[in-house]
Amino acid sequence: MTSIDVREADGGVVLAPAGRLTVVTAPQLRTAVAERVSGGDKIIVVDLSGIEFVDSSGLGALVSCLKSARQAGGDLRIVSPTDQVKMVLRITNLDRILQPRASVDDALRA
Amino acid sequence: MSERRVVEFAATIESIEVVQAEFDAWWSAIGETKIETRFAFELAVVEIATNIVEHTRRAEGSSGRRYELTLDCTDESVTAVFSDNGMPADIDLSTVTMADVEDESGRGLALAIAALDSLDYQRANGRNIWTLVCKR
Repeated sequence: MTSIDVREADGGVVLAPAGRLTVVTAPQLRTAVAERVSGGDKIIVVDLSGIEFVDSSGLGALVSCLKSARQAGGDLRIVSPTDQVKMVLRITNLDRILQPRASVDDALRA
Repeated sequence: MSERRVVEFAATIESIEVVQAEFDAWWSAIGETKIETRFAFELAVVEIATNIVEHTRRAEGSSGRRYELTLDCTDESVTAVFSDNGMPADIDLSTVTMADVEDESGRGLALAIAALDSLDYQRANGRNIWTLVCKR
């Protein structure tokens, strides 16, 4: 991953990581989400449109981030997964708990 | 048609980026067009490489270990063979199942198995040999 774009939004925060989400880069996402959760953000939207590749380590980070957001009384929602990400979410059944929202605006709404 | 590529890596977390760069160059060279095959095969290659690196780190620490990847193809299939001289992997692939949705780890081998047409692990001549095959 080369970057995570962070954008404050009405109702929460939107994180847009770019590149590959693997064992190399997953810690960056965990750290970025942990900072926002501890800073008081409730709704964390992860825009996956820039993620070209995710593996089990990347999925593990998303599950971990989802749990920490929920433990803090908030939620983590994903939007715009690419085809590769959709495939991996489907194989692992994670699309049950990480069901993509239709848009960033939709994800920011309760 | 054959486009064989043999690459060696230091067994570090960062090597996964290099594995993917090598994979990308090899995939372009073989002229494969079916994106679903790429998604599946690249995923399995990354999962096994990560497994090797993490197993090495857990079993031996940062010991300067290396691993080798051979990528090859025929008209019918694409193949990746990983080889390393680390400790035996102690894995029974027949018992691997997908982790529950709430789990934060334990999906790597299950994903590789789901993505591939065959995954084989052998211990031979003091080396761990992983063979990954996907039909084209």
